[in-house]
Amino acid sequence: MPEWHTLAAIGVLGLVSYALRSGGFLAGSLMREGSALARFFQLAPGNLFVAFVAAACLEGGLASIVGCTASLTVMIVTRKEWAALAVGFAAAALVAGAR
Amino acid sequence: MTITTQPASSAKAICSRAGVRRGLLAALPFLLSNGVAGVVMGVAYRGVGLGFVPSVLFSVVVYSATAQAVTLGLWAPVPPIIPMAVACIATNARYLVMGAHLYQIFGKLRKRITLPILFLLADASWLMTSADAESNDADIGYLLGANVPMAVGWMGGTALGYGLPLAPGGPISVAAALLPAAFIVTLLPTQWRGARSVLPWLLSAAGALLVGSLVSPNWAMLAGGAVGTSFSMMRGDNA
Repeated sequence: MPEWHTLAAIGVLGLVSYALRSGGFLAGSLMREGSALARFFQLAPGNLFVAFVAAACLEGGLASIVGCTASLTVMIVTRKEWAALAVGFAAAALVAGAR
Repeated sequence: MTITTQPASSAKAICSRAGVRRGLLAALPFLLSNGVAGVVMGVAYRGVGLGFVPSVLFSVVVYSATAQAVTLGLWAPVPPIIPMAVACIATNARYLVMGAHLYQIFGKLRKRITLPILFLLADASWLMTSADAESNDADIGYLLGANVPMAVGWMGGTALGYGLPLAPGGPISVAAALLPAAFIVTLLPTQWRGARSVLPWLLSAAGALLVGSLVSPNWAMLAGGAVGTSFSMMRGDNA
């Protein structure tokens, strides 16, 4: 049986995590339609995609850079997601294995 | 420039079984990537002496790789709950932004539908849902469906990793860790708006690299995206 302070820690962290996940949504109802903030959120996703990939490449190093580049190239050429993921995965594994 | 998600007033938001199925199928690769990451987390939990039940409970209740990794670093026989909660807020504050953005898409749906689905909100499922809402009806079923393989992979991986005599590392682990980023890469062509995308995207990447290097990887995506989006707003781009 887990000790009570372990369960308490898990419970508190779970509550905090869900409060953050739902809190933004609930706060969104306070945002005026057409406001600068609302426009910001509508424009944001594409830029966030790029930033997400850049951050992943920074963290994952050469294997991630090669894998992402391979995925992007295959996606542009074939428009097939599964092919892009498979080639990216294989390229990253090859680079990681070679180092 | 990058997305044409309609404002809440004119958007038709739905929750459909077809959306659940579409999201689930699209996110299937995350079963592997989150599964491998979960295995690593399970191995790490066993390493600090946490029992099997609390280890799995952690991944089910908290369900956040970054928060779990950071709080694992603070683990002690009597866990320091307040510092852990502060660390959890710092690493997961980005969910506030994601939730606010999702309100723009799903704000008209009943909260008894949206709020439970947000329990499993993850970076990748949010990004995928944002992209899907551009080409299909805004369907929160898609978010629910996309969450399932990610959550099953993470939670199941933690349980598996705890029980198996594995050590983290190796080429397959490295490649599996790349899958979320590779998946987002496959969405990029749909977001491309020609020459108008070049500068905001360069600024987003540069901002992410700078913040990731100098501040924290947890904030790199939001900070980089904020830089590029601010530029788009100042230039007067339309959503």
